[in-house]
Amino acid sequence: MAFTSSLEIIRNVAKITLTGRLDASTATQFRDLVDQAAAQKVKAVALLLKDLEYMASAGLRVIVFARQKMGVAVKLYVVAPQDIVRETIEVSGFSQAVVLLPAYDAAVIEGK
Amino acid sequence: MNPPEGAPPAKSIVLPGALESLGPLADFVHAAARETGLDQKAAYRLHLAVDEVATNVITHAYAEKGVQGSIHLHAQVDPDALRIHLEDTGEPYDPTVQSDPEDINLPLEERGVGGLGIFLAKRNVDGFHYERRGDRNRVTFVVKRPPGQA
Repeated sequence: MAFTSSLEIIRNVAKITLTGRLDASTATQFRDLVDQAAAQKVKAVALLLKDLEYMASAGLRVIVFARQKMGVAVKLYVVAPQDIVRETIEVSGFSQAVVLLPAYDAAVIEGK
Repeated sequence: MNPPEGAPPAKSIVLPGALESLGPLADFVHAAARETGLDQKAAYRLHLAVDEVATNVITHAYAEKGVQGSIHLHAQVDPDALRIHLEDTGEPYDPTVQSDPEDINLPLEERGVGGLGIFLAKRNVDGFHYERRGDRNRVTFVVKRPPGQA
């Protein structure tokens, strides 16, 4: 499946939806959205990954980029990743730096 | 153009040494995995391993050095395992001896971004081998076949 990415910013939360295959040829699109979100000074970023079928280390590098660009005060949520994508995130040592959620939880992410 | 339905997948493919080749690379690996009877998880892991090594070659051996090159893939279906051979014409480089990232347990804000790809490649296949053959690097990825599939 082709890669798609989209960004929606609501109440200072950047929701980035990724679908399809995220590899080094498509990671720049994801990075561009992180750049846009950073420019808006959001307080949290939620990566909505339900339909992301594949993620290579190029995607992990964008998550590192997001953390380093936005600073530790901005929370990073990874929402509904498929099992094998979550496994890649975990074995790479990212699970302490992002919050993994099984579904979008407005109470947690938006602080409502 | 897609091959006709039911046609056996190509056993070899030569792709330009560019990131745009990662899509066709994925299709090639998944077709070989299907033919071999690997389940989806094993196919995913093999794809990840091959993708990471190819990305390294394209990025470091070709693009950063201003060198044009190709990625040669060959699928070898043996009774015990599926072997994917990836060859490139970059300078000699053995990814199997690359050490794992040392900072894997550091907070993200303190981490480097190198080394993760080969780390993932190694841990997602049953065998990961390197040899220099003439002017080419050859990396072989081995995935054992499930019992009864040989």
